Amino acid sequence: MKNLKYLSFVLVFLFACQKDLLEKSPIIGVTEDNFYKTEADAISAVNGAYAALQFELTPAGHFRWFWGDIMSDDTEKGGSGANDAPNLAALENFQGPTNTDFLEAEWAANYEGIYRANVVLERVPPIEMDETKKAQILGEARTIRAWFNFLQVTYFGDVPLVDQVLAPSEYTIGKNPAAEVWAFIEQDLIQAIGDLPKRSEYPIADLGRITKGAAQGLLVKTYLFQSKWAEAKAIAEDLINSGEYNLVGNYNQIFTESGENNAESVFEIQYMNASGGNWGRNNANEGSFSNVFQRARGQFEGYGFNLPTQNFVDEFFKEGVEDPRLKATVFREGDLMGDRGFFTKESTGFPHDYYPKKYFNNKSEEAPFGDPNPNGGTNDRVIRYADILLMHAEAAFHTGDETGAKTSLNQVRRRVNMREITDSGNALLEAIYHERRVELGLEGHRFFDLVRTGRAAAALGSLGYREEVHKVLPIPDSQIQASNGTLTQNSGY
Amino acid sequence: MKNKLIIFTLFWLLGSFSTFAQNQISGLITDSTGEPLIGASILIKGTNSGTITDYDGKYELTLESDQKILQVSYTGYEEQEITVGNRTVVNITLAESISLIDEVVVVGYGTQKRSKISGAVSTVTSDEITEAPVLRAEQALQGRIAGVQVSQNSGSPGSALTVRVRGVGTINNSDPLYIVDGIPVEGIDFLNPNDIESINVLKDAASSAIYGARGANGVVLITTKGGKTNQAGKVSYDAYYGVQSPWKKMNLLNAREYAILSNEANINSGNIPLQEFANPDQLGEGTDWQSAIFQDAPIYSHQLSFSGGSERSSYTASGNYFVQDGIIGGRKAGFERYTVRLNSRNQLKDWLTIGNTLGFTYLTRNAVPENNEFATPLVRALNMDPVTPVRKPDGTFAYSYYSDTDITNPINAIQQINDKWTTHRIVGSVYGEAEITQKIKFRSVYSVDATFATRDIFRPSFDLSINPLLSDAPAGEKNFINGVSKENNTWRNWQWENVVTYNDVYADRHNVGLTLGTTVLNNRFDYAGGSNTNLPSNDPKDAYISNTIDPIASQGAYAGATESALLSFFGKVNYDLDDKYLFSATFRADGSSRFGRNNRYGYFPSFSLGWVINREDFWSMDNVSLFKLRASWGQNGNDKIGDYSFSTIVNAGQNYTFGDGEIITNGNVPLVSANPDLKWETSTQTDIGLDVEMYDGKINFVADYYIKTTSDMLYAAPIPFVAGTQAPVRNIGEVENKGLELSLSYRNRDNAFKYSVSANVAFVSTDVLSLGEGGDPITTGNVFSAGAAARTEVGHPIASFYGYVTDGLFQNRQEIERHAFQNENTAPGDIRFKDLNEDGIINNFDRDYIGNPTPDFTYGINADFEYKGFDVSLFLQGVQGNDIFNGIVRYDFSYTNRPQSVLNRWTGEGTSNFEPRVTVNDPNFNARVSDRFVEDGSYIRLKNVQIGYSLPKSLISKLKIDKFRLYLSAQNLLTITDYSGLDPEIGATQGALDLGIDRGFYPQSRTFLGGVNITF
Repeated sequence: MKNLKYLSFVLVFLFACQKDLLEKSPIIGVTEDNFYKTEADAISAVNGAYAALQFELTPAGHFRWFWGDIMSDDTEKGGSGANDAPNLAALENFQGPTNTDFLEAEWAANYEGIYRANVVLERVPPIEMDETKKAQILGEARTIRAWFNFLQVTYFGDVPLVDQVLAPSEYTIGKNPAAEVWAFIEQDLIQAIGDLPKRSEYPIADLGRITKGAAQGLLVKTYLFQSKWAEAKAIAEDLINSGEYNLVGNYNQIFTESGENNAESVFEIQYMNASGGNWGRNNANEGSFSNVFQRARGQFEGYGFNLPTQNFVDEFFKEGVEDPRLKATVFREGDLMGDRGFFTKESTGFPHDYYPKKYFNNKSEEAPFGDPNPNGGTNDRVIRYADILLMHAEAAFHTGDETGAKTSLNQVRRRVNMREITDSGNALLEAIYHERRVELGLEGHRFFDLVRTGRAAAALGSLGYREEVHKVLPIPDSQIQASNGTLTQNSGY
Repeated sequence: MKNKLIIFTLFWLLGSFSTFAQNQISGLITDSTGEPLIGASILIKGTNSGTITDYDGKYELTLESDQKILQVSYTGYEEQEITVGNRTVVNITLAESISLIDEVVVVGYGTQKRSKISGAVSTVTSDEITEAPVLRAEQALQGRIAGVQVSQNSGSPGSALTVRVRGVGTINNSDPLYIVDGIPVEGIDFLNPNDIESINVLKDAASSAIYGARGANGVVLITTKGGKTNQAGKVSYDAYYGVQSPWKKMNLLNAREYAILSNEANINSGNIPLQEFANPDQLGEGTDWQSAIFQDAPIYSHQLSFSGGSERSSYTASGNYFVQDGIIGGRKAGFERYTVRLNSRNQLKDWLTIGNTLGFTYLTRNAVPENNEFATPLVRALNMDPVTPVRKPDGTFAYSYYSDTDITNPINAIQQINDKWTTHRIVGSVYGEAEITQKIKFRSVYSVDATFATRDIFRPSFDLSINPLLSDAPAGEKNFINGVSKENNTWRNWQWENVVTYNDVYADRHNVGLTLGTTVLNNRFDYAGGSNTNLPSNDPKDAYISNTIDPIASQGAYAGATESALLSFFGKVNYDLDDKYLFSATFRADGSSRFGRNNRYGYFPSFSLGWVINREDFWSMDNVSLFKLRASWGQNGNDKIGDYSFSTIVNAGQNYTFGDGEIITNGNVPLVSANPDLKWETSTQTDIGLDVEMYDGKINFVADYYIKTTSDMLYAAPIPFVAGTQAPVRNIGEVENKGLELSLSYRNRDNAFKYSVSANVAFVSTDVLSLGEGGDPITTGNVFSAGAAARTEVGHPIASFYGYVTDGLFQNRQEIERHAFQNENTAPGDIRFKDLNEDGIINNFDRDYIGNPTPDFTYGINADFEYKGFDVSLFLQGVQGNDIFNGIVRYDFSYTNRPQSVLNRWTGEGTSNFEPRVTVNDPNFNARVSDRFVEDGSYIRLKNVQIGYSLPKSLISKLKIDKFRLYLSAQNLLTITDYSGLDPEIGATQGALDLGIDRGFYPQSRTFLGGVNITF
């Protein structure tokens, strides 16, 4: 029976050691339980949300110019021919399939960005750290969340509103009315504006972080898209009066390397030429594909997408003279394409007359390593001060402040030495619209400007645009299936 | 009268005295034919003492006066009890035993008589394992057990095998659990097959449920040889030497035919034919690249074993040296293994026994790339054009002017390969067994499985250019910067197991057995590695990272580790009434570090019932010695779900640039959401079986029918993008396996001509029942030249082939115009694909299921004959009803070689309705995944034929030799199949959902070998 004692000792020992034994967490990498403890963790958490801003193409990502420019009358798809991204051509002609990978990628990127912002907003508040810094980080996250919600609601209309990190049981949520999404964006931005430092208050090492101005700029846009003119005007004036921004002198300099993060940069997504492009969710990379996609083919080593139309070029001649901004916006035959040589049709191998210039990069600006094609580093200028001024002009016009409208409009025109606008009434509004098209051309605004101002049917009707259907994109089929039918397709698709 | 009485009493007393006194006896033990049995064991009943017979079958024994009964036993013969009486010479004839009723079978945590087993357990014995010399123990299972499908992952020496018990049970890891002498091990490549006593496969849930969370895919119990008590020392030497050679070549185009087709393809594609092919006849046969890469290769083994035992202890010790070269690559694909084993067992006290098992293995494996369509010597040899010679006139290797990227000179490629795996592995245990009372026993075992493996790769620099200054060779035929890398992997697993057993008999008829136990198991895997380039020496002997001239900063390095642990409690009850009504139940609770916080413990029950009907009074068929009905039900788990799948890493590297100088700044986010509910995959299995034995074991029949459902199957089902994360792995899928297993054997050992014939067959069907909400099909099986070839979808077998359905060839333009649109450049002679959805266009939506890689049934047939000293054995094995996707030919390259079937191509209306026209660019994409590449994969293979001769004992016993046998053996002598590739036996080489796809499979060799077995 002595042996039985040993036996019970053995069993007791086994029970005693069981607790620790089964608690194994990964040895390599940090688990959620061990992260979100320090200020450094909080900063890298919000950096992770920023990374989503860079996503391009598929399976999660976007080019704003796909929808803003190609879908509009400013540009055509381009590429190597009809078989190069045919789905994009179909969308451009409003015969869009509802299952394209580009739509899926857009949807995926926006919700991945929202998720990353939600992680920050849930995990950072409990961290013990400097409260001002914490407020700033939460403000950055809210603005990022607002940005992706803004994209979702402008692109797709009624969409699921994801205001927290979802549990698997919550994956099949349905649509919220666009109005709720807009209200949520406003709420995020108003709170962020209160928490974020001004641009001038950031140390230089934080250049590229979202500022109070960026949140204000996005809020102006948010109001404008809802025709909330008075609110838009008020916030725009806050921003204008902050003294943080002004137009740079030389329009031609804006879209060059040295023009990045300049005095009129309100919200700019950062890219650099190192380490390859951001195809999909290629998180470690910092490059942009916009450069290579928009460069001419042939000796210019591009893919030749986003070709400006004659209609767009004609807009620059509307006032009887050539608007000087055309030279900074479009390459015409004979133009020198930076250090890559002169643009001739022979050198591109295609018969196209025009190529976009704003995303052109010189060969010398590409990093000498990594994938040679995608080493584009051009920042995405999301909101420029000129846009703020033009939005202010439009909002002021609609609230009856024509003087304010003209002041802002002419401030933009004065830089490029275009004549003062003295019109009023509808002519003034048309002048503001024209100004948006030439000042902000090929920056991804046009299609949405046409839709929100009710001019899309007139401008795009000949391409197949129908107001009751095409003011929003179709919801990707795969997502309707994945939701088990909780999501419904937008009407008309 | 009185005196007489006294004398009688004296005599009686004397007589009594003599019986109380010591008694010297001797005798001869023979078999039924009168042949002496050497090494038969004679045990005095009730004691540990005894002796064994010598080389002449004789024995001598001294009995105490109260010892009167001898127990005589010899492996393969029926045990006899002999009452000595007053005899001094006791000769005994043992009858050969062929009945399996009393065979003792190793089951989970114990042993059981076969007649009392109520689950589905199958056995392979050491004789069967060593009958055909095999490199790995898994090979010995092939075709031997109904319901265990074994297929070779490659014919290259040392490559792994795929073992599936009762079919593929999950879309994840379906490997069975291997337990060697009670030690759970990952893979059994370290085992020397000669050291194995028996392999028992626990097939149904009731047998395997005692292994709980690890038993879902069956359990393979392996027992290594140990010595026997009271056994004279035995020395065995076994050796063989063989030559392996390829047994099949594909019929490919020769240079002349290649040139003719190249010209035709160019003309068909609107190009000008190549100038150098203007006169194809001049080119003649050209190079046969298959002959160039295939070679004869040796295989040999030396084994020396010692075993023996005294009254209280027994031991076995063995050493083995095994070498096998590859038929592709020779030494460059060579495998070498040294194993040493020492098992011992000692009874220290009446109540205490201790023992150990210890195996040490040192192996090296040189690996050539295999089983992919990109960079293997074989796929290069099959696709390299025949116009290019192996060598240039100056003796250096030539390169092809026509082949592209992947398809480079395979002979040179083999020369440039230096990829060596070196493994040291120790698997051993120490145990103690205490007899607490006669009925209660306690056993405690501590075991270790430690593996230290390194991999050394050296990529030398080379240049096949004709003019090195011009560097004219294509990119794949030159490498200017040499490189070296090293990996170090260490697995250290320990286990401590404690088991109490209780056995009792109540009222002479209620047999009760009870087992309770605990296990604690800990695994740790450490990995580290490094690499660098630019070594001044191009000699593989100098290939060390530290020899580089590049800065230290350029060295790649990594290291890391993973851990897992298991804590388990288990119990088993066996009960039978009169050996007639059998009942057994098991229960196991497994706690695993791999399971999520909310499901840390899994519980696995099982029940089984047996009814030995022939023991009933109403049973009247005397020639039926066993007629047992069995039924079982149980649940098991599969814990091969990854060590940390439940947890979430906050992934770094989510970078963004900040600051004036565009500084890349780290960001973190969990890319996958955590799943604290994550748990094992659960399999629930019901089994009904029948065991019949007739004519004292001459006829044996076993049948089993089962339904096995694997639920909670792990799958990262795609989730809606609104989640913003990648899909977490969840327990959502369900797969069902149903099957029937039959085995039948007939043995006759009554006469000098002894023989046995056995056959087994297993039918299994596997269907996917669920892949979670939405249930999107899983696409796998990418074949580079064609696309994804396999799909796993609810309602279909796992990894079925999925693609276009061909409908002959377009014979003329009108047929193309009448048919759905395929491509604007489709021309007569191109394949017509069926417009399955009838929408007038051939696209992704016109694909369907075109084949199933899982066989309808698998089978094995075994026959043994013995006459006098001669023995002959035959072993056939086959599968029926499976398909193979033939992806060997690189149709994505226009200048690769083609099978000769292309000579029957379409050249004009009516010339062919199957083999399409040749082109350079394949505008119709004739090479897309279609039923054109799906072939019947059924085969029957003569795995082994062996003829042996044992020298008569009368001759060798004088030399004190117990056994001297010589044999000749041929493996894979004959394979009957319709499959056109090099080998129809194709394992799962690229994961669970990539089955039966031939991307240039390293074929098994045909081997002729001769060997010798000597025991003394």
